[in-house]
Amino acid sequence: MNIKTSFFLAYTSIKRGSKGTLVMTILIMTLAYVNLVFISSIFGGIVEAINRESINNQYSNIVIEPGINKTYIDNKEAIQLIDTIPGIIGSSAHYVDKALISYDEYNDGNNIKNGKWVVKSIDIKDERKVTEIHDSIIEGSYLESTDRDQIMIGKEIAGGHGGGLEHLSLGGILVGDKIDVQFSNNIKRTYTVKGIFSVKNTQVDQMAFITKKEMESILKVHNLASEILVKIDNIGEEDIYINEIKNLGLQNEDIKRWDELMGFTSSASSSFTMISVILGVIGTIVAGVTIFIIIFVSVVNKRKQIGILKAIGMKENTIIFSFVIQALFYGIVGIILGASVILFILRPLFIANPLDFPVGWVSLKVTFNIIRISNISLLLASLVGGFFPAYRGARESILKSIWE
Amino acid sequence: MIIEVKNLKKTYEGRVPTHALKDINFGIKKGEFVALMGRSGSGKSTLLHQIGLLDTPTSGEIIMKDTNLVLLSESKKAEFRLKELGYVFQSYALLPELTALESVYLPLMLLNIDKKEYIRKATEMLEKVGLGERIDHLPKEMSGGEQQRVAIARALVNNPSILFADEPTANLDTESSEVILNLFKKLNKENGQTIIMVTHEPDDKKWVDRVIWLKDGVIEK
Repeated sequence: MNIKTSFFLAYTSIKRGSKGTLVMTILIMTLAYVNLVFISSIFGGIVEAINRESINNQYSNIVIEPGINKTYIDNKEAIQLIDTIPGIIGSSAHYVDKALISYDEYNDGNNIKNGKWVVKSIDIKDERKVTEIHDSIIEGSYLESTDRDQIMIGKEIAGGHGGGLEHLSLGGILVGDKIDVQFSNNIKRTYTVKGIFSVKNTQVDQMAFITKKEMESILKVHNLASEILVKIDNIGEEDIYINEIKNLGLQNEDIKRWDELMGFTSSASSSFTMISVILGVIGTIVAGVTIFIIIFVSVVNKRKQIGILKAIGMKENTIIFSFVIQALFYGIVGIILGASVILFILRPLFIANPLDFPVGWVSLKVTFNIIRISNISLLLASLVGGFFPAYRGARESILKSIWE
Repeated sequence: MIIEVKNLKKTYEGRVPTHALKDINFGIKKGEFVALMGRSGSGKSTLLHQIGLLDTPTSGEIIMKDTNLVLLSESKKAEFRLKELGYVFQSYALLPELTALESVYLPLMLLNIDKKEYIRKATEMLEKVGLGERIDHLPKEMSGGEQQRVAIARALVNNPSILFADEPTANLDTESSEVILNLFKKLNKENGQTIIMVTHEPDDKKWVDRVIWLKDGVIEK
């Protein structure tokens, strides 16, 4: 094979061939690349939004739960030491109870709406370090440490705020309304709704929060916890901190990473990833077929020239390689232009205007890995799509190529 | 002899096999200008394709430089064509995207000759065929006769042992044909270039040293 001649033929063919065909081919390859990266990135963005919501509003990074056959985490000393571990931003202990919440809109005993929801207690100062619910108040205000007869509820409990479970809600509670809460130990209290919050996580929007002191008075406990959420500096290093937390004396507690607890959302993330991979493979095949057709047409049009090149002594490999270089050129230019469109137009556009999905604010998550896989996919598609028609054309006999 | 053909046969298989060449034997001396003539279907082009290594005969030998070329692999045949043979086709056979100069230096590139050297040689060759002023022109910017002269320059730039020409003037007007055949004659006389040319024009006899007449796949005379 004479590589220099292959490059020379490819260069002259691109330089002096039809400009219209060249522009169209590069446009198609650019769109094929944008398609590959965009689909993976938008699904990546959805998965990231789901994960972000779970971390920011539901689980934080690490969740500590009581060991088997225990109701509470009772190692008070260890609980207080969690925050001293370097790299841990904060921790927040919750009491968790399932309670019957009722609302009598007209205070006449008729038309009472109720439902069972999770009620959690929070230490106001600590909670601000591990969740962002304080930034998600859509009506009223966040709880304060001294609040005893006030409650904060999610929009799915309140109703009237466009939640997905409106039919199960209390039908449109407003801040200032009074609701009755019957806890699992049958203690019943009346609370004034202080705030209504909305995060992009239906499970959290179905929760209610009261202060820690209030819950301790109901459950008749002190400085224990049903669960502790722990926030760390760097996502991905949870296992390191889990070990450190265990070493504080919480060996028997059930300590999990946020992603181990995701359940439904985790399977949704997996499904999105799977769809993204399938669409990516289809996109790559389409790009490969497109290149195949372009090179095939080029080979058919140059059939006679291929015969002439062979007649003057050019080896088949040199001819095949010249077409493969052309295909790779289309692919590489497509990658460069496509990456420019993604990185300098679409990504900034989506960051400035994220899409409002039910699972969160979704932007394009363009990762190095997506770019790398898309680059390899399009180059492979170009290589394969360019090689086969060129191989077929170059293998034809000289006489057939020139005279038939 | 520069080339010797022994018992050459070419049969196209099919429901009814066609015996295009039947036991052809002849030799050509170095520096000869030979015409292969005959009626349409006589086998003259088929014979040129076999001895020019563009096709593979059914049986027989083509001896050149003490080698039976029929037995070479496709890759070796390509190498042999590049180094030892030159071709001029009826339909110019130039690549539309290459200028005259590029078309001519292409075979030299394949031989990995230095760039300065192949440009010099190709320019010289184009000057020799009278196209010194047209080296940067693309085929679409040249007449049929000029394109054919570029094809001749390309065929000769490697100093081939034999130049094969398959009806090189068939697509040209009388004036351009005269220029081409004059050029062949000049190359033959001045450089001792061996030329084997297929032609159907009886008048072309006057340009050549010898005519091999074919009829129904055999040498008639």
